[in-house]
Amino acid sequence: MTATIEPTVHEDQVVDHPAAADEPVGHRGRGVVGHVVLAVLSLACLFPIYWLYATSLRAPEDVYSLSVLPWPLSLDNYADAFAKTDMVRMLVNTTVVAVLTALGQLLTGLLAAYAFAAWRFRFQKLLYLMFVGTWLVPFQVTMLPNYVLLSQLSLLNTLAGVIVPTLCSALGVLLLRQHLMGFPKELLEAARMDGRSSWGILWTVVVPTLRPVLAALGILLVITAWNEYFWPAMVLQRSNGMVQLGLRSFMGTEGNDWGPLMAAAGLTCLPIFLLYLVLQRHIVNAFVRSGLK
Amino acid sequence: MTGELVEVTVDRPAAGTPAPAAKPPLWQRFLRGAPPYLYLTPAIVLLVVWTYRPLAQTFQLSFHSWNLLPTSPVTEVGFANYERLLDTPDLGAALWRTVVVILGMLPFTLVIPVLVGLLSRRVRGRVGAAYRAMVFAPMLVAPVAGAAVWQWLLDPTGGVVDKVIGSPINWLHEAGPAQIAIIVITGWHIVGFAVLVVSAGLTGINPDYSAAAEVDGASRAQVTRWITLPLLSPTMAFLVLMTVLLSAQWTFPLIDTLTQGGPVGATTNIYYLLWDYGFHSYDAGLGAAAGVLFFVGFVVLAAGLVLVSDRLSTHDD
Repeated sequence: MTATIEPTVHEDQVVDHPAAADEPVGHRGRGVVGHVVLAVLSLACLFPIYWLYATSLRAPEDVYSLSVLPWPLSLDNYADAFAKTDMVRMLVNTTVVAVLTALGQLLTGLLAAYAFAAWRFRFQKLLYLMFVGTWLVPFQVTMLPNYVLLSQLSLLNTLAGVIVPTLCSALGVLLLRQHLMGFPKELLEAARMDGRSSWGILWTVVVPTLRPVLAALGILLVITAWNEYFWPAMVLQRSNGMVQLGLRSFMGTEGNDWGPLMAAAGLTCLPIFLLYLVLQRHIVNAFVRSGLK
Repeated sequence: MTGELVEVTVDRPAAGTPAPAAKPPLWQRFLRGAPPYLYLTPAIVLLVVWTYRPLAQTFQLSFHSWNLLPTSPVTEVGFANYERLLDTPDLGAALWRTVVVILGMLPFTLVIPVLVGLLSRRVRGRVGAAYRAMVFAPMLVAPVAGAAVWQWLLDPTGGVVDKVIGSPINWLHEAGPAQIAIIVITGWHIVGFAVLVVSAGLTGINPDYSAAAEVDGASRAQVTRWITLPLLSPTMAFLVLMTVLLSAQWTFPLIDTLTQGGPVGATTNIYYLLWDYGFHSYDAGLGAAAGVLFFVGFVVLAAGLVLVSDRLSTHDD
């Protein structure tokens, strides 16, 4: 029946599939079912997010209203959230931490992946397994000794203490290695014949070619770092240096002041959602690819 | 995988060095072999300092008694921590709750995604992309923000959930409902990701097989049961492995912000228990002993699952 030649699935279109053009008429119904199922699931997934922003935009006296549309709109809750917490400083701190963490992870990951892809060396397998093995070590198992070390280095309660221990991302190393393995060897060989050092080749040949991958991975790492909760909570000892922690203490003290709480939670997620709106496709693909390894 | 590709060798530190005919002196061979190790150094140092050193120290600490104060002594106690751990009813209860969480997560990470994936295979193009974007959105919500909005949705006085179902259940302060709430909230966070993984898995299946079966007169249900599902099994195995290893981790921020392990310990799973031992009871030795047990348990479990899924999975070769 179908003699479609299946194109090799390119990673950038993980979730797209060439539509079967010669779909029999009887299968039309299945398309409708698919839409209904996806629509229901989408609604269920989006509703809490919608309600978060809807509540935050209601006037303070309407917070308990169940009307679907928040009307009249009001920014009072946001003003309240800014007045009660040091939202600006927390957002700046979190941005600094997320960006520096992601950049550091990209750099260490790139160097390590380059080593794995461009050389054969003794203990290669063992060193590789050291990266894979980190997935079996839960955070909670290593937290006590790390906490002690940070306090010995007097990095507790500093942003550096949040950043430094997370600067190596095993996921980053493995993903970049995968991509470098598929790197055209002729390019490396040619550059080497030109007399360039391996360091020069890395920055003039490998990095420019790998830019889209590095960008996608970078976004993924920024989002992960932004949403990280455990480690900052421990290092900053429940102070309010970063948005996640500020939000948490807000929940404790103002538990029933829903309007400002939703405004603060909305602000916490806003930068990530804006990033998502702009780069939606890339982000989804980066996440899925990371899951599939 | 792709082992043969490793042949690419940029095996000279400074290119242009002519290859010596005789065996080069030791220092030259050393220099030549150095680059990959140099490139690996930053990452490996970080791994050793922040993952493997603490892992070893946790192991060591599990045989000692210490209350986390730098001034107080660390005393060796042999297996006392492990005995204490196995004697407390906390551990068994927390383990059981962890199992409940994992089982409760499977509908969100496996059942719903596979059903949705199979039913919506034909929804593609722009509309499909829009659905995927919406389903994926909760994954990006910070866990604490997710906790905040769900606390509001589940609030017994003004929350939408109780108003819709019409009975005032105090979700986060009653044992059973609290555990359900934690599972559902975690499921909400993760379901979109699992759906996308399944749809990627379905995309990777060569459509020739089902086309051939249809030519032979197989019904849609038969094709799904005997061709699509078996070929999807590696994806499903991955999702199960992910659920087993990570469910309890995912629930941690929610438990910490919403229930603090309560009411009366009803949502305390093993990770929260570890946290509690270390940072609430200041019992470093007990926490370390629990950590070691869980680490060993997880390694065994993960290895077992990988073996089993390799056996059971059908691969398209």
